[in-house]
Amino acid sequence: MTAKTNSFGTKTWQMTLMALRYLSGRKLRTVLTTLAIVFGVALIFAMNLVLPGIIDAFNQSMASVTGADLTVTNVAGGSFDPGPVLERIQATDGVQAATGILFRQFTLPERDEGDVLGDLKEIELVGVDPATVNDVSRLVMHEGRFLEPGERGSAVISTSAAALAPRLQLGTDFSLVTASGLQTFTVVGLFTSDSVLAVPQFILTLPDAQAALDQPGLINAVEVLLKPGADRDDVAAAIERGLGDNFTPADNATLTALPAMDVAFAMFNLFGALALFLGAFLIFNTFRTVVIERRRDLGMLRAIGATRRQITQTILIEGAIQGVGGTLIGLLLGYGLAVGMLAAMEPIMHEFIAIDLEMHYSLSAFAIPMILGPAVVLAASYWPARSAGKMSPLEALRPVPLAGMRHAARWSVIAGGVCVVVAIALLVSGSSGAIAGALLFLVGMVIAAPGLVLPAARLFGPLVTLWFAREGDLSRGNVARQPGRAAITASTLMIGVATVVMMAALVNSMMGLASDLTRETFASDVLVVPQSVAVYNNVLGAGEGLAEQIRALPEVETVATLRPASTSTDGSPLAVLGIDPAVYAQVSSIQFIEGDADEAYAALRTGRNAIVTALAQKMLGLDVGDDFVMETAEGPQTYHVVAVAHDVLTFKTSSAVISQANLAADFHTSEDVMLMINLVPGADKTAALADVQAALAGYPQFTAHLSSEYGDDLIETSMGATRLFYFVAALILIPAGLGLLNTLTINVLERTREIGMVRAVGGSRSQVRRMVTGEALLLGIFGAAMGVLSGVAISYGVITAFSMIGWELPYTFPAAGIVAALVIGVLLALSAGILPARSAAKLDIIRALQYE
Amino acid sequence: MSIVRTEALTKVYGVASQPIYALNEVNLAVDEGEFLAIMGPSGSGKSTLLYLLGGLDRPTSGSVRLRESDISALDDDALSRLRRTSLGFVFQFFNLVPVLSARENVAMPLILDGVRRVDALKRADDALARVGLADRGAHRPSELSGGEQQRVALARALVAQPAVVLADEPTGNLDSRSSDEMVQVLRQTVDAWGQTLILVTHDPRVAAYADRIVFLKDGKIVDDNRLKGQGSAEQIREQLNIMALG
Repeated sequence: MTAKTNSFGTKTWQMTLMALRYLSGRKLRTVLTTLAIVFGVALIFAMNLVLPGIIDAFNQSMASVTGADLTVTNVAGGSFDPGPVLERIQATDGVQAATGILFRQFTLPERDEGDVLGDLKEIELVGVDPATVNDVSRLVMHEGRFLEPGERGSAVISTSAAALAPRLQLGTDFSLVTASGLQTFTVVGLFTSDSVLAVPQFILTLPDAQAALDQPGLINAVEVLLKPGADRDDVAAAIERGLGDNFTPADNATLTALPAMDVAFAMFNLFGALALFLGAFLIFNTFRTVVIERRRDLGMLRAIGATRRQITQTILIEGAIQGVGGTLIGLLLGYGLAVGMLAAMEPIMHEFIAIDLEMHYSLSAFAIPMILGPAVVLAASYWPARSAGKMSPLEALRPVPLAGMRHAARWSVIAGGVCVVVAIALLVSGSSGAIAGALLFLVGMVIAAPGLVLPAARLFGPLVTLWFAREGDLSRGNVARQPGRAAITASTLMIGVATVVMMAALVNSMMGLASDLTRETFASDVLVVPQSVAVYNNVLGAGEGLAEQIRALPEVETVATLRPASTSTDGSPLAVLGIDPAVYAQVSSIQFIEGDADEAYAALRTGRNAIVTALAQKMLGLDVGDDFVMETAEGPQTYHVVAVAHDVLTFKTSSAVISQANLAADFHTSEDVMLMINLVPGADKTAALADVQAALAGYPQFTAHLSSEYGDDLIETSMGATRLFYFVAALILIPAGLGLLNTLTINVLERTREIGMVRAVGGSRSQVRRMVTGEALLLGIFGAAMGVLSGVAISYGVITAFSMIGWELPYTFPAAGIVAALVIGVLLALSAGILPARSAAKLDIIRALQYE
Repeated sequence: MSIVRTEALTKVYGVASQPIYALNEVNLAVDEGEFLAIMGPSGSGKSTLLYLLGGLDRPTSGSVRLRESDISALDDDALSRLRRTSLGFVFQFFNLVPVLSARENVAMPLILDGVRRVDALKRADDALARVGLADRGAHRPSELSGGEQQRVALARALVAQPAVVLADEPTGNLDSRSSDEMVQVLRQTVDAWGQTLILVTHDPRVAAYADRIVFLKDGKIVDDNRLKGQGSAEQIREQLNIMALG
C-alpha cells in the first residue's frame, strides 16, 4: 500500500470536490436551497442592523453635560431646588467645586428652508451659572467669549451645533423654541465640542434656561470637580450619604428601553425565529431529498469501502458550502432589506417619535447571522447526513420496503399528535408558554405530516379528480407513494401559509383595537400635538401660558392637557402622565379595564392616587388597591392604584396617570405636551381651528388638528406599518414556493421511466402534464389546510403572549386571511407545478423508458 | 488453497414464524485465481450469496472467511476498510458517481483509504489502461457508453488490487457486443493477473467463460461444475433447463 501521508487532507479534499460537483451539477436545486438560507440570514441581519438603531434612538445618553468628574442627579431624573443640595455637595470631603445646571435634550420643530438654525434637528439646552461653572469644567472656547453672570438673551453654542447651522455665527440672533413660546437669543461665543458626534449644545445662563424649560428656580444636575488625588468612588459614596437616596452621583445611567420597545423586539425576534425555523426546515427537507435521491451513489460508495463517517461527511460538507455561500449572499441581501425597512418605517417613526433612524453596524449584527447561518445549515443537514451514513450498502442499492414506511408513518402520527395535544394544552392554559405552544403545534404538524399524507390524499383526492377526471387517480397515487417527500413539501407550504394566517390575525386584532382606542381617545374637538406623541422624552412642551391663551378663545369651552414625566418604580422604568382630573374625562375617554371611571377621577384629586396602564399592571404587578413607590424629585413617594386603564397613546407603554397637582409637587414639572380642546356647542370648528393655530404662532413645536382627522391619519399611518408585516409574510412564502418546485421536479426526474410508460401505453402529453399538475394541486391543498390550522394556533399563541405582557388584544378570527391563505397556497402550488409538468410532458418516450 | 470459504452460510428473511431461507447452509470454497460463476433462477439466493461474500450484508448464521479470517465478525468500520482494500465490486447498474470523472471514480477506493490524490489518480490511470480505457479517464460517466461505464466500474474494482472481485450481473444491462467485450476483459484479468473473480449471472454465454459454475436453487447449491473455461453456452443452458424442470 502506498504511504498514507496527509490522508485526512486527501479524503476531505475529495469529499469537498465531490460536494462542489454535486452542487454545481444540480444548479437549480442548489440555488433554491441556498435561497432559503439567504432569506433567513438576510432577515436576521436586517433586523440586527435596524433594531439596535431604534433602541438607541430611544435611549438617550444622560452622561455628564459639561465633562465634569461627577454628575449628581435626582434618581427620578426630576429637577430640584439647588440651594441645600449644592451646599451639601460643596461641603463633602474631596469635592473641589460644584455647580448647578439645568439641561434638556429635545427635538427642534421643522423650520423653513432659510432658518439660521439650518440642519439642526436635536439640541441640548444647558443652563449654567457663569460664576461657578468654569471652576468645575473649563470649556475650550473656539471663538468669542463665555457668558457673564447676570447676562440675559445670550448663548454660547458648540462647534458641533455651528457645523450643522453654518449661518449661526458670532453675533447672530436666532429664534429658539421654548416652553413659553419663541425667544430670541444672540450667539456670543462658540466652544469646541468633545467630538463631532456630540449632540449640538446651546448654553444659556441659568435664568434663561429655567424660563425656556418652564423650570423657574430649579436645576436638574450638579456637576462636581474632585480635589486632586480624591478617589472618585469614595467621594460619590460620601455625596450619596450626605444627600440621601433621593440623589445619585454618577454619569447617570442611560434610560432603559421602554417596555414598548421590548415588545417590538420580542415580535421581531419571533419573526427571526420563524424565518430561521423555515430556513432550517427547507434545508433539512432538501438534504433529506438529496439523500434519498442519491441513495444509489451513497450505497455504491459504501460498497467500495467508504465508512459511515465518510458518507456523513460528504453530506455535511455540501451543507457547509451552501451554509457559507448562502450566508454571504444573505448578508448582502439583508443590507438591502434593512435599507428598505428603514425607508418603510421612517414615516411612522417620524410621526410618532420624531427621531431619525440609522443603521447600526455593531459586531453582533454581523456575528449573529454569520454564526447562525452556517450553524443552522449544519444542524439541519446533520440528521439527513447521519441517516445517509447509517444506510447499509444494501439498503442503498435496493428500494426501501413499503412496510417500513407505513410503520414510520404510524409513529409519525402518534408523535406528532402528542406534540399537537401538548401544544393545544399550552395554548389554552394561557400561561407564558403560549409562544412555545404555538411553535410546538407547528413542530407537531411537521412530525405528523408523513402519516397524514395517505388520509389527506383520500380526503382531497376526489376534489382533484373533479378537475382532472382521468389523471386525478394517478396524481393521488403518486402523492401517496412517497409520503415522506409529500409531507416535507406540504410542511414547507404549511409554514408559509401559517405565517400569512398569523399575520392576518395579528394585524386584524391590532388594527381593530387601535382604531377603537383612537376614536375613543381623541374624543375632543381639536387636538394640539407635539412632533412626537406617545414618547415625550424629546419633546419640549409649553408652560401654562399656552393653555391659558387657548382657554381665552371665545369658541373654546374646555382645555385639558397632558404633562409627562419619567421615573422608575422598584427599578423598572415607568412613564408618568399628569392630567387634570376635573376636565380630562370631558375631552378624552380612557378605556377602563378595572375600576370605575368616575371614582378613579375623583380619587386622583385627593392624595397620591394613580391610574396605571394594563402594561404597567402586567409588567410591574400593580393591581387596583396596591400601593407602589415611585422615585420622584421629592424622593420616593407612595402612590395608590385606583384603576387600570389605557388609551391609544399609552396602551403600549408602562405608564401611571396622576393629577397635575401631584406632578407639580413631586416631579416639579407643569409642562404641557398635548392639549385637548372641546368647543362650545355650535361653534364653527374650522374657524376655531384657525384661532387655535394662530395662538400657536409662537410655539412651532406644536400643530393643531381636528381630532376626527387626526385620528384617521393616525389609523392610516398605523395601517402603513402593517404593510411591513405583509411584506415579511410574502418573503416567507417565497421559499415555500421554491420547496414545492423542488419536490415536484425531483418527482418528475425520479419517475422518468414511469412517465415514459404512461406515454407508451397511450397517455398524451397533456395528460402527463395534468397528472403532475394534479399532484401539485393535491400537495397545495394539503399544505394549505395544515397551514391554516397551524396559523390559527400560532396567532392565538402570539396574541395570548401579548396579553401576558399587557397588550390586551381581542382575538379576531382571521376569516378573510384564511381564505386568502388557502387561495395563495393553491395558486403557489399550481404555479410551482408549471415547470415540472411541462418538462414531464416534453419527455421523449424511448429515452424516458431507457432512463436509469 | 481457497481464498474465500463459507461454512454453513445461512441468510433468513422475514419474520420468525414464517422464515424465508434466502441461503440455507451453503458451503463453498473458491480458490485463488479462480473465475467462478454463480447461476440460478430468480430468487435462488445468488445475489444474497454475493452480498454476503462481499461483506455488504450479514449472515443469519454460518461464516464467511476471506484468507482464513472470519469477516462476519468484523464491525462496520473494519468491513468498510476490508471492502476498499481487499474486495472489488461491479454492479449491474454501473453505479458510478455522476459528478466525478472516470479516473476520479476509479481512484475513489484509494482516496477513501487515504492514498495521496496524485498517487491514487496515477493508479486509476493504470487500472483504466488494463480495461482498455486509457484515453477515457477525463470523461464523466454520462459521456461514456454503457459498456465503457461498466469497464470503468471494473477498473474501480481492480484499482486497489483486491483479493476478490465480485460482480453482480455485470452484463445485465449491456447490449450483446458490449457484453462480449466485458466478459473478455473479465477473463483477461483472471488469465493475465491471476485475479480471483466471482460473478453472478443468468446469461449462459457469460457463464461459459468461467472456470467453474455453481448452480443455486432455493438457497442451496444444487450443482458445482468445473469447466476450466471449456464449457459452452449450450451445455449450460441445458443444465439450467434441467434444473428449472426439476
